[in-house]
Amino acid sequence: MVWSNVRLIWMREIRDQLRDRRTVFMIAVLPVLLYPLLGMVFLQITQFMQQQPARVWVLGAEGLAGLPPLFAGSRFVHELCPADEDRLIELIFREPSRRDQGDAALIELARREIHRDGFDAIVVFPSDFSARLAAVRADTKDPRPPSPGGDGGGDGDVARASGAVAAPAILFDQAGDTSRIAADRIEHVLNRWREAIVREALAARGVSPTVVRPFVLTRTDISEQAGRRAAVWSRVLPFVVVVWALTGAFYPAIDLCAGEKERGTLETLLCSPATRAEIVGGKLLTVACFSAATAYLNLLSLGVTGAEVVRRIGVSTAGGLALDLGFPPPLTLVWLLVATLPIVALFSALSLAIAAFAHSAKEGQYYLMPLLLIAFPLMTLPVLPTARLDLGTSLIPVTGMVLWLRFLIEGQYGEALRYAVPVLGVTIGCCALAVGWAVRQFHSESVLFRQGDRGGMGIWLRRAVHDRGDVPSAPAALFLGLLILLLMFFVSLRSAAPTSWTQFALAAGLTQVALVATPALVMTWLLARRPRRTLLLTPPPLGAVVGGALLAVALHPLVVLLSQGIEAVYPMSEDTLHALAGLTDVIGPAPLWQILLVLGALPAICEELAFRGFILSGLLRLGAPWAIGISSVLFGLSHGLLQQSLSAIAVGFVLGYLAVQSRSLFPGVVFHLIHNSLAIIAGRELPRLVEQHAWFAQICRPTGSATVPFAYQTPIIVLAAVLSVALLLALRNLESPDRTRASRRESSA
Amino acid sequence: MIYVDRLTKLYDDCRYGPIVALDGVSFAALPGKIFGLLGPNGAGKTTALRILATMLRPTSGTATVQGWDVVDDADQVRRHIGYVSASTGVYDRMTAWELVEHFGRLYGLPPDRLRARIEDLFQRLKMGEIRDVVGAKMSTGMKQKVSIARALVHDPPVLIFDEPTLGLDVLVARSLLDTVRQLRDQGKCIIFSTHIMREAERLCDRIAIINRGRILDAGTLVELCERYAEPDLEELFFRLIESQG
Repeated sequence: MVWSNVRLIWMREIRDQLRDRRTVFMIAVLPVLLYPLLGMVFLQITQFMQQQPARVWVLGAEGLAGLPPLFAGSRFVHELCPADEDRLIELIFREPSRRDQGDAALIELARREIHRDGFDAIVVFPSDFSARLAAVRADTKDPRPPSPGGDGGGDGDVARASGAVAAPAILFDQAGDTSRIAADRIEHVLNRWREAIVREALAARGVSPTVVRPFVLTRTDISEQAGRRAAVWSRVLPFVVVVWALTGAFYPAIDLCAGEKERGTLETLLCSPATRAEIVGGKLLTVACFSAATAYLNLLSLGVTGAEVVRRIGVSTAGGLALDLGFPPPLTLVWLLVATLPIVALFSALSLAIAAFAHSAKEGQYYLMPLLLIAFPLMTLPVLPTARLDLGTSLIPVTGMVLWLRFLIEGQYGEALRYAVPVLGVTIGCCALAVGWAVRQFHSESVLFRQGDRGGMGIWLRRAVHDRGDVPSAPAALFLGLLILLLMFFVSLRSAAPTSWTQFALAAGLTQVALVATPALVMTWLLARRPRRTLLLTPPPLGAVVGGALLAVALHPLVVLLSQGIEAVYPMSEDTLHALAGLTDVIGPAPLWQILLVLGALPAICEELAFRGFILSGLLRLGAPWAIGISSVLFGLSHGLLQQSLSAIAVGFVLGYLAVQSRSLFPGVVFHLIHNSLAIIAGRELPRLVEQHAWFAQICRPTGSATVPFAYQTPIIVLAAVLSVALLLALRNLESPDRTRASRRESSA
Repeated sequence: MIYVDRLTKLYDDCRYGPIVALDGVSFAALPGKIFGLLGPNGAGKTTALRILATMLRPTSGTATVQGWDVVDDADQVRRHIGYVSASTGVYDRMTAWELVEHFGRLYGLPPDRLRARIEDLFQRLKMGEIRDVVGAKMSTGMKQKVSIARALVHDPPVLIFDEPTLGLDVLVARSLLDTVRQLRDQGKCIIFSTHIMREAERLCDRIAIINRGRILDAGTLVELCERYAEPDLEELFFRLIESQG
């Protein structure tokens, strides 16, 4: 790769993009204008909201004689409602008409008045409220029973339940924001009034108010201003940076790839002396520059606007309620600038690879949404309050990086250093994969010289069925994998937890037959001319069957070790553990042979038909590594639980390898059957055997975990690893009967 | 100098399934001569020329340009050819001068020589008035002139023209054909593909008639006419196409 060519292409693309008004608008104008405009609108709305006093209708205020004063004229007394609250409440004292007397009528009145925007809330004091309260205060040992009518307020219910008097009620509309705010404001004042009543009653009896309020809870914020600011910005800024890094990468990428195809300039470039790698390098650097510029400009604009808006709100509320949010600390920005670069590189390479596939800029736009759909959960996960950086989350692309950035921004360098290797490793690894994909796209003739889609779905279906090949196409294989995942997902939504073994066995069996095997068989019938070859129903070499069986046994301790590792990194939630415990209770009493049939033999046949049969055969057109990799991931995802999925992906690799090497489904079925059966038998029997026979402790030990109840001892694991490697190497040199026959034909020819 | 030997190209089409774009095509193009590829749309002309320009890889067969193999020495091949087609666009947001200069720099020409070369090309191709015009504001004819200047900037010994007159008006097309002749007279080895009989008749020293990925026959216009006893190239062309079935 010649750097001068990369630089030439890079500089040309940068100049080209800067001459494009749309790009400049997206990269520079939009972020610079967007946030200040949003800030202005927000401030206006806030001002508008704050200046709207709640209109509250007060009913029965005349019955409060003898109680501490609540009203002074047409307002609340100043002691209970400070000036800044008082100006937000407008009280209207008016008695209802005679026909609106009574609880039901009052509720109807409230509904009518609030819905037609006459009032935001209505406060109702029972007519004999003060008299009854006085009676209670006079004789607290014998409170009067509550009146049968009562009122509709929540406190009223509590009051009745506790045998106290009927209480004032606030009638409001939960569905309306203004009504809800009005109710909250009134409730604050009435709570203070209630405390005043209590204080007065206690004082009358000579009891200190501290009896009912023995201490006052104080909250002391020990954070420093910089720390508080960092904590707020650390949640907001990484998200903003990541979202805009993706958006800023995608639009230039479409213009640089799909746009160039459309304008015919890509062909001009391809016949120049620049190699494909140099072209990708130049374009990638351009996309990365615009991605970073978009992210940083948004960051700057949001930082300045956010700080100013919050400062203005703080000034306007004058209650000290404002967030302490100044301009982001300089170190925060430095970390963001540095740590955003790998994310920018990742998104740039991904966008470039996807944009290279598009035939036109319009088609490219359609690919933005799927990319966002995949990236958005990864971006939003770190924003959740419960999200924290641990080994598990550090291994998730984008999510780990954003959480890691939070540590850096908050100055927790020790924690950041602890997870630096996994976070950076995963990010750089994904980045390398994405760049590799982009380069591959530029080497692919079918991608670069792809014509626009012609004919649509009808032609595709006709071609798929009538012009089907011996084995299914790769898209058909992927389609089956996704179909199985979707079917399983929708069925899992509708199915209830089984309460008996029969129910469980029926559900598990039906799932395997109806959702896994049947779609595979139907699609084989429709989309493949040679079903036996597609489903690999060919006689296997004997060595492969024996090898597969031995490999299942040899790998078992390693699979258990892997499960332990997964359990440590991604521990199961309490809910999942509870659900699994329920399943164990259901399965436990069943005869072993039935369990082996339902959980061992049936999946071994059905899943192998689908994943190693149809899917792997179709994907083999992409090359064995891709076929094994993709079929394993689909196989893993079909297991539902993340922990099981990860383990199943690893097992899927071995099963795929077995199928490719033997060109037969049967060694995989044998492996799968023994693998599942061993897990079932070991899970049931080993803990008991360890207890009964001391020498079993040399082989395994109980772990106390609900999901992985036992672990193998280290020597067993080492032995298993050696055996497994030896078996995998032996399987590498397999001679299948098909291959042997073919080589014989060649030699005889 | 171009040698093409049993060049085959297969690719998969979503609509039609596997397609044989080129089926064992062989020919040679010599310096100072224009070799014409005459065929209808979809005959395989563009595929053959894209393989020669190293944009596509042949499924089988070999092709060499100035002694360089199009697969193994793709970098060298690209340095020795100039490629112009109806679909080699110019950048909308670059001026004519900037575009030609950019490609000249990609070819590694020193700044002084590049400047002199561009001045010369702009003068010869009468491009002075569009020197500072951006691609978006150029007519189709202007764009094609810029494409030719771009293809000639490094003075390559081999020039590949893939239906360069497509979409041009008569005057511009005539001017372009004159330019191609001048380049031939300068000793360049030229391959010129077209589906227009008159262009092939008037321009090409040797003509290969191609259809469905196969070269049906090749020779000078006189040789072809004598071989089929048919003085009219268009009639000859249809006979050959129909004889293929």
